[in-house]
Amino acid sequence: MDPSILRQLKKIAGKDAVLDRPEELMLYEYDAGVDKHRPGAVVFAQTTQQVSQIMRLASDKKIPVVPRGAGTGLSGGAIARREAIVLSLARMNKILEIDVPNQRAVVQPGVVNLELSNATVKHGYYYAPDPSSQKACTIGGNVAENSGGPHTLALGVTVNHVTGMEVVLPDGKVIELGGKAQDATGLDLTGFFVGSEGTMGVVTRITVKLTKLPEHVTTLLGIYNTVEDAANTVVAITQSGVTPAALEMLDGWMVRCVEANVHAGYPEDAAAVLLIELEGMREVVEEQAKAVSAVCLQQKAREVRHAKDEKQRQLLWLGRKTAFGAVGRVSSSYYTQDGVIPRTKVPYTLAEIERISRKYGLIIGNVFHAGDGNLHPLILFDSRDPVQTENSRKAAKEIMACCLKFGGSITGEHGVGLEKMGLMTAMFTEDDLEVMVRLRNAFNPESILNPQKMIPDLHFCREITGPLPKAKVEPVEGVPV
Amino acid sequence: MNAVTSVASLDRELAAIVGERYVSSTEFDINGVVPAVVVHPGSAEEVGAVLRLANERDLVVAPAGGLTKQQIGGVPERIDILLSTARLNQIEEYDPGDLTIAVGAGMPFAEMQRRLGEHQQWVPCDAANLEQSTIGGLLATGAAGPLKSTFGHMRDFLIGIQFVTADGKVVKGGGRVVKNVAGYDLMKLLTGSYGSLAVMTRANFKVFPRPRQTRTFICSFHSLEEALQSRTRLFQSPLTPMCMEIVSPRAMEYLCDPSPVHDPDDYAPEQPLSLPAVEWQVVLRAAGSDNVLARYSRELGAAVTRTLEGVREEQYWRWVSHFEQAVLSRHQNAMVMYTHLAIQSVGPALQAMERTAPDYNLIPAAVGRAATGNLVLAFMPLSVDPPSAMQYANCVSAFRGMLPAGSSAEVAHCPVEAKLHFDVWGTTPTDVKMMRAVKRAIDAKNILNRGRFIV
Repeated sequence: MDPSILRQLKKIAGKDAVLDRPEELMLYEYDAGVDKHRPGAVVFAQTTQQVSQIMRLASDKKIPVVPRGAGTGLSGGAIARREAIVLSLARMNKILEIDVPNQRAVVQPGVVNLELSNATVKHGYYYAPDPSSQKACTIGGNVAENSGGPHTLALGVTVNHVTGMEVVLPDGKVIELGGKAQDATGLDLTGFFVGSEGTMGVVTRITVKLTKLPEHVTTLLGIYNTVEDAANTVVAITQSGVTPAALEMLDGWMVRCVEANVHAGYPEDAAAVLLIELEGMREVVEEQAKAVSAVCLQQKAREVRHAKDEKQRQLLWLGRKTAFGAVGRVSSSYYTQDGVIPRTKVPYTLAEIERISRKYGLIIGNVFHAGDGNLHPLILFDSRDPVQTENSRKAAKEIMACCLKFGGSITGEHGVGLEKMGLMTAMFTEDDLEVMVRLRNAFNPESILNPQKMIPDLHFCREITGPLPKAKVEPVEGVPV
Repeated sequence: MNAVTSVASLDRELAAIVGERYVSSTEFDINGVVPAVVVHPGSAEEVGAVLRLANERDLVVAPAGGLTKQQIGGVPERIDILLSTARLNQIEEYDPGDLTIAVGAGMPFAEMQRRLGEHQQWVPCDAANLEQSTIGGLLATGAAGPLKSTFGHMRDFLIGIQFVTADGKVVKGGGRVVKNVAGYDLMKLLTGSYGSLAVMTRANFKVFPRPRQTRTFICSFHSLEEALQSRTRLFQSPLTPMCMEIVSPRAMEYLCDPSPVHDPDDYAPEQPLSLPAVEWQVVLRAAGSDNVLARYSRELGAAVTRTLEGVREEQYWRWVSHFEQAVLSRHQNAMVMYTHLAIQSVGPALQAMERTAPDYNLIPAAVGRAATGNLVLAFMPLSVDPPSAMQYANCVSAFRGMLPAGSSAEVAHCPVEAKLHFDVWGTTPTDVKMMRAVKRAIDAKNILNRGRFIV
């Protein structure tokens, strides 16, 4: 990077807030996905004003800027393209306000997701969106990706919980979108901005809804001899009139994989298990637990376990929560996919994934948010073997094609980023994408911010995955995790 | 070329696109402006062709559904084409197991709801006039009713959309699955955009299981403060009611079927001899089994003055949804505002209404979502001393001036003459310049609803 740019960055953010040595930059060349690219420099902003000055400098000099939170993203959204400046928001990590009477919190983008629930649980509230990286990922990153999580089935994803933002535009201008009120007069730019993957502006302050802690929570584990029965249960539960807080499925291979790792008590000969969480008023939860249990048995569950207390509940969840780590012990490389299908198509899609797995001779484990049809197939391969590496990519592509065939989507919560940019044309027409580009240009006309992401301007293929970043935050007592 | 021949030639060109029988004239006016021609395209492609033509000729287009909310907004200079979506009225896909539905934008909402009802499902929206209102119209106006308290806004259920841009491109966003982050969230952008960005042609919703049993608890209080204190206690309790409305004393007489009144400006309360009500009410609607509802009764205790179930309960909530219509059917010169407030700004906003209205010879009444800050405020003129256009403007500015920072309050209805004296949309915390940049990005010539919305 041009030394005069580095000098100016240091002048704006401070000497200790700019990295430019290759060994330092190496730490910022990847995220939790598969892409790698070394940035030209990394700068840590501490204030909105600094972000604004950095953006103005970058705009003047036409240097691309890639905003970054904790780097837990899975689609390469925070990976630098060309000689970009990585703008880290990790030091803007203060909870600015907890406003219990208005059921809102105002946070800086670098606040870790779980930190907010930890800080609000004593007031009887928490922050509902719970991506599985919630101990490390930042709320700013969640806003960029419109992150989901197991408990978004009943409560919605990030966009349903953000009511206001302060945003720095590429030219350095600072604008407000929304506030503490639920929805303001005029266009809903707040909702439109969430999920824009850092291509419209840098969010420097976020107002989020706080959710009242449920009076009662319980978890059921349904154990199945066939995947079809488990999949049919998912449809039958929603048709029975119950919307669970979470409805997760692990297939037989995943069950054995997690059992070898943590002994959550899942039977190793099961073809699939369903984790069903219910929450709300005590009476509601108790009635729903009975109803759901009956539905599971009707759909040929061979056994339904009901957590009697919090300890048992945590044990039932242990397998799900450690699933990715368990796979990591079996195979050093795996490719985490993220696709969505209509929930009635779960059995067909799983059969199709099984066929793809056999075709390429690669193990594919399935652990996913069954309630909303959001699949996470994990494709195992040996990264030292170029044929397997290539095949894992082909298998992923076929799984995505299958999701699209059933009327689904190429990503439910991980984002498009770099990874799936090439697949956007399979889902959207040129006109669709052109209108998206026109709208992006209203915010980011010269593509200074996160260029060449999300919407393709050339065809592109993507690869493979690495280890997840370490947890930074542990839940305090009472936080529903 | 004079205006007559240009209109005649436009009619011919539109007829060439949609067929002669789908081009007509109308007497319907939008704030006093009668559209030159009405066109009813039968497909998204025909909508595209109409818009391309309009865009080339710089003709102003007003997208239209059930015509229930067209009077909202500024007074247009002219409307060349009223583009009706009425023929785009099919259910295109519905699989109850998926809990999703795809419908044409011109379908009346109630029709879709009946179809979902066959499977004990619904899209939880209880805005007014659902028999006439179309899906597209409800989305465009961001309409909501009491169910918004728990279920949220229409934009929260909209998972996919097809629309046509001002230059005639047929575009889609989202898809048919409930979780989807591929591409920008065009659903959020279009919902509540009042037809100013594009013409919606199809909508995909996620649908929900419909509660099988509900009960309504009406709690009465001597003052607004007491009503708000009860709200705080509810927030702190484990109860999770489906609706939580606040009803001002004057509003109660509008929560009933309208009586036939000859002079719309004649102030005609239902019981003219009784003293005006002084109570504030907090009205809760809860869903669940007998056991669950019994818990509500226990926890709410003596605050409950009435309990409603079954047909009477349904009727009551229809009245709540139609509060604005009940007011306007009796006072055609009433002013109606919609507020967007932080939870704790509900009290100050209601106080501001009660304090400002009398200064301008207006009678205040309010119904709204106590838990989300979306209130419907009515300011009704006294028949003995009707306010001047300026009085409406002054009342609005006095009221807005008393709102806590970050609030917005748009005037949804008032006499057209008054609209010339103030901005019906008012201020908003969201950057308006940015909104206009977004508008320019997809309607560069400003042909869609020009002069009517905030952009």
